Amino acid sequence: MRDCARYAPMIGARAGELRDEEGRALAAHLAGCARCRALAADLAATDGLVAEGLLARAAARDFAPFVDQVMARIGAPAPAGTLGWFHDHWKATLATLAPALAALALFLYFHLDAARQVASLELSAEGVSTVIQTSDGPVVLLADDDLGS
Amino acid sequence: MEADDLALVTRAKAGEADAFRTLVVRHQRKVYAVALGIVRDPDLAWDVAQEAFVRVHGHLHEFKGDAAFSTWVYRIATHLAIDAIRRERASHKDDVDEVLEADLAEGAEGILATALGNDPRENALRRELAGKIQEALDGLPEKHRTILVLREVEGLSYEELADRLGIHKGTVMSRLFHARKKMQAALREYAGLAPADDVEAAEGEE
Repeated sequence: MRDCARYAPMIGARAGELRDEEGRALAAHLAGCARCRALAADLAATDGLVAEGLLARAAARDFAPFVDQVMARIGAPAPAGTLGWFHDHWKATLATLAPALAALALFLYFHLDAARQVASLELSAEGVSTVIQTSDGPVVLLADDDLGS
Repeated sequence: MEADDLALVTRAKAGEADAFRTLVVRHQRKVYAVALGIVRDPDLAWDVAQEAFVRVHGHLHEFKGDAAFSTWVYRIATHLAIDAIRRERASHKDDVDEVLEADLAEGAEGILATALGNDPRENALRRELAGKIQEALDGLPEKHRTILVLREVEGLSYEELADRLGIHKGTVMSRLFHARKKMQAALREYAGLAPADDVEAAEGEE
């Protein structure tokens, strides 16, 4: 038992990791040491548990966003997964959306322009109705005639 | 499998994003598991694992194929993980690696082997203990978590551990001994097999 401190760290070595003379000395020690044999048995019984436990944690986690996040971080587009279709058809999608995007841009341009004139109301008479330009957009005030009263 | 990796690396080097995606998907969980075992926090491990792939991508042109692609990613992930918890590492640098007779005077040897039976892979207790691994790792100092994870998850040999961690082979063996001793004490506790002084002794060493 007196050499346990020397041999115990050798327990659990894989084939080829100990020099031949080390392997022989360990085998001789184990043959005569019940405590180190018990240590070796514990190690053998629990071998692989750390890997099993951690890989199970990894398996339990949703990795769907992982690769897209990696690709985004390296500045590459996301060709697969939930964004796959858009990636394959982004030109066509953009072309289809172009008129709508242009309209949106115009709207925002005028909307923001109007927002800068919060306090000022522009009154104009268009026929019998009155249009007030407010920060929320044009408000049409109907003349009494239009109300048919 | 590695031949496939090599082909994918070649395509990724040529600018094929899909090839690199495939490499990420193929190795992401194991890289995450390695990072998780070292840093413990799942979100930090997620970030470390992603950063490892980002770094690898940035240095793809340096990859010569003389080692496996996976080894390369794990190596970077290990360094990033250790770096992410550097402060914790510094606080445990006094932990000695030497194995003394006193380290063996425990009296709990063989309990786990007996409890897990002759066919441990079919054992319900084994599954229960696997579920407790992360908790058990939480109680270990960084250098013991790291060497256990690299040995068991990545499967590194003594020589590879010595190279990766920058320590001698003898230190690898004694550090692994201490790491396993603490892990086994934790597992005995979870299994309800801990001798009265076992848990106390394991806690006293930190």
